[in-house]
Amino acid sequence: MEYVIEMLNITKAFPGIIANDDITLQLRKGEIHALLGENGAGKSTLMSVLFGLYKPEKGIIKKEGNVVKINNPNDANDLGIGMVHQHFKLVHNFTVLQNIILGVETTKGGFLEMEEPRKKVLALSEQYGLKVDPDALIEDITVGMQQRVEILKMLYRDNEILIFDEPTAVLTPQEIEELMKIMRGLTEEGKSILFITHKLNEIKAVADRVTVLRKGKYVGTVEVCTTSKEEMSEMMVGRKVHFAVEKKASSSGVVTFEVKNLVVPSKRSSKKAVNNVSFDVRKGEIVCIAGIDGNGQSELVYALTGLGPVESGHIFLKGKEITKMSVRDRNVLSMSHIPEDRHKDGLVLDYTLSENLILKKYYTPQYQHNGFIRFNEVDAYAERLIKEFDIRTGEGAKTIVRSMSGGNQQKTIVAREVDYDPEILIAVQPTRGLDVGAIEYIHKQLVEQRDAGKAVLLISLELDEVMNVSDRILVIFEGEIVADLKPEETTIQELGLYMSGSKRKEVAI
Amino acid sequence: MFFAIPLLIVALGGVFTERGGVTNIALDGMMIMGAFTGIFFINQMEGQMSGQLLLIIAILISTVTGIIFSLLHAYASINMKSDQIISGTALNMFAPAFAIFTARMIQPNGVQQIQFINSFRIPKVPVLGDIPILGGLFFQNAYITTYLGFIILVISVIVLYKTKFGLRLRACGEHPHAADSVGINVYKMRYAGVMISGALAGLGGLVFVVPTSTNFNATVSGYGFLALAVMIFGQWKPLRVLFAALFFGLMKTVASAYSVIPFLAMTAIPSDLYKMVPFIATLIVLAFSSKASQAPRAVAVPYDKGSR
Amino acid sequence: MKTVRDFILSDAFNKTAASVFAIVIGLVFGFIVLLVSNSSEAVHGFGIILNGGFSTGAKGMGQVLYFATPLILTGLSVGFAFKTGLFNIGAPGQFIMGAFTAVYIGVQWTFLPAPLHWIVALIAAALVGGLWALVPGILKAYMNVHEVISTIMMNYIGMYLANYLVKVSIYDFKKGLSMNVADSAVLPKGGLDYIFYNPLGTVKDMSTVNCGIYIAIAVAIIMYFVINKTTFGYELKACGFNQNASRYAGINAQLNVVLSMVIAGMLAGLGGGLLYLSGASGRHIKVVDVLAIEGFNGIPVALLGLSNPIGIIFAAIFISYITVGGNFLQTLNFVPEVIDIIIACIIYFSAFALYFRKLLPRLLKKERGDKE
Repeated sequence: MEYVIEMLNITKAFPGIIANDDITLQLRKGEIHALLGENGAGKSTLMSVLFGLYKPEKGIIKKEGNVVKINNPNDANDLGIGMVHQHFKLVHNFTVLQNIILGVETTKGGFLEMEEPRKKVLALSEQYGLKVDPDALIEDITVGMQQRVEILKMLYRDNEILIFDEPTAVLTPQEIEELMKIMRGLTEEGKSILFITHKLNEIKAVADRVTVLRKGKYVGTVEVCTTSKEEMSEMMVGRKVHFAVEKKASSSGVVTFEVKNLVVPSKRSSKKAVNNVSFDVRKGEIVCIAGIDGNGQSELVYALTGLGPVESGHIFLKGKEITKMSVRDRNVLSMSHIPEDRHKDGLVLDYTLSENLILKKYYTPQYQHNGFIRFNEVDAYAERLIKEFDIRTGEGAKTIVRSMSGGNQQKTIVAREVDYDPEILIAVQPTRGLDVGAIEYIHKQLVEQRDAGKAVLLISLELDEVMNVSDRILVIFEGEIVADLKPEETTIQELGLYMSGSKRKEVAI
Repeated sequence: MFFAIPLLIVALGGVFTERGGVTNIALDGMMIMGAFTGIFFINQMEGQMSGQLLLIIAILISTVTGIIFSLLHAYASINMKSDQIISGTALNMFAPAFAIFTARMIQPNGVQQIQFINSFRIPKVPVLGDIPILGGLFFQNAYITTYLGFIILVISVIVLYKTKFGLRLRACGEHPHAADSVGINVYKMRYAGVMISGALAGLGGLVFVVPTSTNFNATVSGYGFLALAVMIFGQWKPLRVLFAALFFGLMKTVASAYSVIPFLAMTAIPSDLYKMVPFIATLIVLAFSSKASQAPRAVAVPYDKGSR
Repeated sequence: MKTVRDFILSDAFNKTAASVFAIVIGLVFGFIVLLVSNSSEAVHGFGIILNGGFSTGAKGMGQVLYFATPLILTGLSVGFAFKTGLFNIGAPGQFIMGAFTAVYIGVQWTFLPAPLHWIVALIAAALVGGLWALVPGILKAYMNVHEVISTIMMNYIGMYLANYLVKVSIYDFKKGLSMNVADSAVLPKGGLDYIFYNPLGTVKDMSTVNCGIYIAIAVAIIMYFVINKTTFGYELKACGFNQNASRYAGINAQLNVVLSMVIAGMLAGLGGGLLYLSGASGRHIKVVDVLAIEGFNGIPVALLGLSNPIGIIFAAIFISYITVGGNFLQTLNFVPEVIDIIIACIIYFSAFALYFRKLLPRLLKKERGDKE
């Protein structure tokens, strides 16, 4: 069988870590080949090598049997290889058309020529069913459309081999189905697709074969139709994995946290980011707000935690109104927050582990005296948390957090927030970017809090997580709560419909 | 006008480098270097040449000096990924020291100032100089440098928005990873941006000194920094930069020429306070315009291929 | 062996090595400049620079400490701002405003007796310096104005304003300088006059060093404690490293930005006061349109000292040392500006420090193998 692309014995190292260790990947023409592995397994690195962004220490790449050297994206492009990145590489204040032609501009007498490209783009858009507006600015269009722009970038350059890096992270279930259809359409036209993911459902839906990587090493390549999800998952992780979270029946009691008619303005447009939202969370309950990124969750959480503005409405914690309270006062009143972006909000990366662990407590009498920090107390506290929460570091409490792995950084934040013993714990995408082991651990922590009688508000877009962990699900769409469901009474498909606004349910509070 | 044009030129230089992603606070130093070499050249060659030819060659020398000097900043910022503000400050400190040092070493008696004779003024351009109002403003008592400034403006607008180079440069300043992923050499682009700013700053230095005095004393009175403010006020768009430059030029003119303006001369405000005016004006302007400021997103961040 | 390797790999060594590296290259470059301008005397000239303050005997060393005093403070000013994430290029402006205030009080407020007189003058100098940094601080915190430009503007405004104020209040027309401050305002020698002088026959050729150096070092030590051991320092550093996370932690980030700038300004202002309250033989304010070099030199001091107060003390002494040596160069017909060139080079190369700091561990790690 002819392979259109072969990556043989690829080794790529960075200072301190071998990202790809002797990996072999072979892509057949016209197939959809998935690349499966946990976060940090080396999938993106391998594809970056193929795309010319990195040069491997060892190994060769062959196209249609011939050895080729790919030193930069231009070389890859010349060979017909294109890539849609996980974090879109689009210039926010350029138009769709400008982004598509960037790097392969046509010029007339030194000046940019846009008419020819425009015609070609519109033709391609028709051919493959990828709707775009060539003159829209990237910052104004939806994520789904941005992804179509990335795909058009590849097609415009007549790429035959298309690499998709975690394309579904930002899409609704319906958009995911559309993408799957587009991918199948592309292969029917003769393109070959490499598709990086850690989501088994999607592999089962479209892929022909899957190559599994674990911790930088090659584990194996199997036919998708003959391999079960459990087998794939075991290859990916190296052991049997529980998919379901074990939890007792929920014992909801008193309402601890209440939100009434909350309205939060949007920075971008005159529409409200959060539009008249009301809900409550009880003691011993995990409520999950599910929704696609960008439907108001961030603004909602910022408003609840005091980091963002509130236009109108009320927030109550333990019966007290906290709508206008400062962040510190909310903390003191027993609110904990595991933020969406651990690097931006949750940690001071250049501080040590112990300095980060006391981020919310440094001013309390236990840890300071007349303004001077009591380092003994701080260190003792850090040691205790490190043990209790199994935070792994190179140098213990003195480690600079920047050098810690994502999973351990998140554990640091979780340790800090959980140990705070809050009445309400707000956790936003707490398992994003983590490997299965860490995910299991964090879910366990959340459930433990809930079993201990705390109220937990979880914001997530991982539907598996939403279904498994929560006691109640609220779906947010365009700033409004459009559904209030119990996980046992709904399906992922139905959630998807609510999340994309296709269905609404009257929410009674 | 004499004050606005150098501001315009240097600020446009700043636009190019910042649009590419490198912040250049050494514009002042580059002006000094450019002015120094240009004026020195004039000083040495006055006996043999004169008039516009002398000026034109001096312009070329200043521009080239600016480019060479800017390479230092480019190398530090782009290859060495150093803090762009620090390397800029270093160059700002280097330039006057160098200018004074060399002047004193080379000139007889170790004199610090470099004198020159101003033989470049064009009293009146035929025909154009007779246009009412505009003629007086633009075409009398002018220098070719004034026209050069406008030409540069026009070229800048075209290059930045209508050429391949301009599009790629802007991409490098907003999202270098995106540019890199489509095969653009970000390093080269950024070098180009910095070199352009060096060229324009060097030129601007000469343009600043020539019309307004007869000697050069290793300083451009903080003009390089004013140019930065003009750039920010102009939101990195060439046309707006023009207006900003005109505004500041006006301020500065008022400051220097107050003795000629009747009602201002009557108030006994001393010259020092007038000198402060452009800077105070800058502060006020910055206070109001910075809130919604949209600098190129990736400016002042060294580009590191490895980071994702 | 492991401990030696660990030491070399440690952050502290790394950063110090980078500073030393920058200094060495700066000096080499300066030597080249000397060579180019007067090759016969170049070696001699370079030797004078290296000899620094010693070139002029004990008095010279005294002068080194005298000039280091304001540098320690401007270095602290810039360094403190660095630590809190801000770039205080406004040190010259804050410095000269502080200096004016101190001299003004020294000349005019003769109703105050010593030591109250100079103490009040110093405090006022610090306050005015802080005031001068307040405006850029507020502009940055609440209106997002980049502090580099706003402080540079304040530099020029300060320079012109100070010149003007000197001219109208405490000007000595004959000398073109500010007037002598009253004796009660002069900083006492604090015992240093017994050490730092060159005997000239029966007269002592006194250095102008005074207890200002004690004050400067004391302030540096205080700053060290504040930054590293207090909750206040913890908050300021957190804001400097990550404003978002500080807000998340409940810290008032905007207020801290303003506070940081004000403190930095106070330090620079105090430096101005210390330099100019040195009596008739010491410095006087020159009324020229030149920005205070002591303010700018705070930047290399902060960089070389790695923004660490103790390191800043040493860096300030070093810069002062070569500056005094440089002044002496004039006897050899060298232009002392070469020192400024050297200092500029040092700054330039210390900007490379980041690169160098990444390079050294990588070289050593390759020998060691992977560490996971």
